[in-house]
Amino acid sequence: MLLTHAPVAELTFSSLPQFFVNGVLNGAIYALIALGYTMVYGVLRLINFAHGEVYMLGAYAALLTSYALGYGPGQSGPGFPSILTLAIMLLVSMSFCALLGVLIERFAYRPMRSQPRIASLITAIGVSLLFQFGGQLVLPVSPPPSISERVNPDFLRTPVEITLKAPDRQMVATATSLKPAYEAAKQAWEEQKKHEANEFDLSPEGKTLRTSFQDAERAYQDAARKADASANKILIPKGKLVMFSTSIFLMIILWWLVTRTSAGRAMRAVSHDFNAASLMGISVDKTITFTFIIGSALAGAAAMMLATFQGTPLTTFYGVQPGVKAFVAAVLGGIGNIPGAVIGGLLMGVAEDLVIGMGYSQYKDAIALVILIGVLLLRPGGILGSSKVEKV
Amino acid sequence: MFWISRLGSILGALLFCFLLDKVTGGLSDFSSRLVVLAGLYVTLSVSLNLINGITGQFSMGHAAFYQVGAYTAGYLSVTYFSKAHLPGFLWIVLMMIVAAIGAALAGLIVGLPSLRLKGDYLAIVTLGFGEIIRIVVQNQPSIGGAYGMNVQPKFPQLFASTGTHGVWLVWLLAILCIAVCRNLLKNVHGLPFLAVREDEIASSAMGVNVTGVKVTAFLIGSAFAGAAGALLAHYEGFLSPTMFTMELSFIVLTMVVLGGTGSITGSTLAAIVLFYLPEKLRDLPPVPVSFLVGAVIGAVGIVVFLKKTIDNYHGSSSQKTVRMILGTATGIVVAAALGFVLKVIPTIGHAAPVEAAKLRMVIFAVTLIFLMLLRPQGVFAHHEFSWSWVKKLLGKKDVPTTAVST
Repeated sequence: MLLTHAPVAELTFSSLPQFFVNGVLNGAIYALIALGYTMVYGVLRLINFAHGEVYMLGAYAALLTSYALGYGPGQSGPGFPSILTLAIMLLVSMSFCALLGVLIERFAYRPMRSQPRIASLITAIGVSLLFQFGGQLVLPVSPPPSISERVNPDFLRTPVEITLKAPDRQMVATATSLKPAYEAAKQAWEEQKKHEANEFDLSPEGKTLRTSFQDAERAYQDAARKADASANKILIPKGKLVMFSTSIFLMIILWWLVTRTSAGRAMRAVSHDFNAASLMGISVDKTITFTFIIGSALAGAAAMMLATFQGTPLTTFYGVQPGVKAFVAAVLGGIGNIPGAVIGGLLMGVAEDLVIGMGYSQYKDAIALVILIGVLLLRPGGILGSSKVEKV
Repeated sequence: MFWISRLGSILGALLFCFLLDKVTGGLSDFSSRLVVLAGLYVTLSVSLNLINGITGQFSMGHAAFYQVGAYTAGYLSVTYFSKAHLPGFLWIVLMMIVAAIGAALAGLIVGLPSLRLKGDYLAIVTLGFGEIIRIVVQNQPSIGGAYGMNVQPKFPQLFASTGTHGVWLVWLLAILCIAVCRNLLKNVHGLPFLAVREDEIASSAMGVNVTGVKVTAFLIGSAFAGAAGALLAHYEGFLSPTMFTMELSFIVLTMVVLGGTGSITGSTLAAIVLFYLPEKLRDLPPVPVSFLVGAVIGAVGIVVFLKKTIDNYHGSSSQKTVRMILGTATGIVVAAALGFVLKVIPTIGHAAPVEAAKLRMVIFAVTLIFLMLLRPQGVFAHHEFSWSWVKKLLGKKDVPTTAVST
């Protein structure tokens, strides 16, 4: 993988910042997906189970776009700079998801609006299963494809390093002082190797030289590692930085849309009181469509960025875990509440990375559900979701 | 009179199980396996119906109770069977009871939050509990972890002394589950369950112990799922966390929803139909893509037509039925015709055919969506099978029932 996590170390006081940063960077993506859940819940009071699948299909849209642009297996890539490719993939993914969200709302959720809420929920589960298993019939799934690394421009390939604390000077000095001895021993051993007939049956002096080389190597590497560990650095893959800033940019646009435009005002009105809003001349159907467009487009953006910069192979179940986590994030922040979804997403990301850091990475998918149950039992409204807060 | 009919029902059930066992003994391994699994699915579906349909607590984590039961029984059998010196038949009954208790405890843990949560939130929490239990089991090396656990003894060994195949026990459990739910509904103790489903606040105002009812529903429902789990563990001889994913919960949920939330008859029949039909897909030849496309177009057309008819057609109800049947038939013919016509298009005509077995989960998904669009209350809605209904169909006069009608 190109832009993986920074090396996973044990969670200590000094590695805490690294885990925190990782968590915030992942959390921004959860926040983007959570916004879709929270906005739909706000206007329709419906848990849009199919949102994770919209996200999954967004990732596939990005993948197929990259194929169409010449980054498929065995293709050499187009002539134009890959930053443009990324932009095209992002736009295609967002618009595809927006269209899909509108279609799902129109054909699956709108006919259910007069039915009890649980019927809509069952429909949503059905839609989600349909995409997961129906997708396997039409989409490339085996072997799981992933977006080619070549779409990433060169400058994104190195991580940013932030040094919080320089390495201990004395330790660095020790390591440096051990280096010449190590190199000399290595040289001597390499020389000796040429004269040895068989590496498994060494002459006595060969054995001595090899032992001294191994000792010197161990001493030097120990010292170097200690010196390295005494420093406190944060490594941030540049791809994740791009991802994070794009997410923030999209969230600012969303904030502008919701608070500064008439469509946003209609959305807030519908979420405040569905019936009263329609009596006031707001087209509820149009507003709900608008909500689905925005929410699904954000999921598409999240999918494209994660699929491109993380490089995880895609399957039709790609959206299940992010979907669950984002939903938890939305509940954690107070479902129906836009700033809440962002806060919940960030907290969710940090919590997950702390669990990984504590060495329970096999439980990282369970932590979301534990948080969910805890929140629902202790504070069902979520962090920001009291009745006083303006909801969308 | 009451006791005679009751005795008759019990003897009838035992006879049915015995005959089923005899018949299955002559079938191939695969077919008898289907009969056993169908019995387990009936138990799961009817027990989930008690929680979802009858009490109205939307639970989506039924696979978890099944899993708890299966692993409890499996672990105890592996550890203690050789030391216990019990006859195999007694042992499996004991394991079913223990597994039921274990799963009921899990049900209690899941049921308690239901006191505070409603509707979709409860659904999510139960789903979450189910996943948590699965992830925890997956990370416990002592019970096999992700590699799974071998369970000994298996059915042939357990039932060797009785001279049967054990199929009867699976179906006896299913019938017991049906009987418990049915008698609960016909009984004064069952009315609070229905009251809670219809209106929680009103029923608590009428003196119903809402908390007690909800917890009881979860306890009974999960206990039956747990007992079914014990049978699964000893039938398959192998358990793995991948057998108890969300997918299984959704399948059981589909069965309950299709049958009609609240109808025991409905969940039983839906479990059998929805289990058998997709299994039969394995025997079919691969489906050409052109027919799949035709089926998709046809299905969408049929659903749109039916929806329009249900909502907007104002003829008599028999005219409506005829219209709907004709429309559906036309849709199927058109879909099949499209299958032949579309072969002309090269990209569709030359695409590799799809294995029919792959369509299994797609069918469940489509069933859920179309059902919600056309008949959200399920095929049977709240109706139950009854002899008076059969007599009515045969043209005889309706016999007034003395029992409480649901």
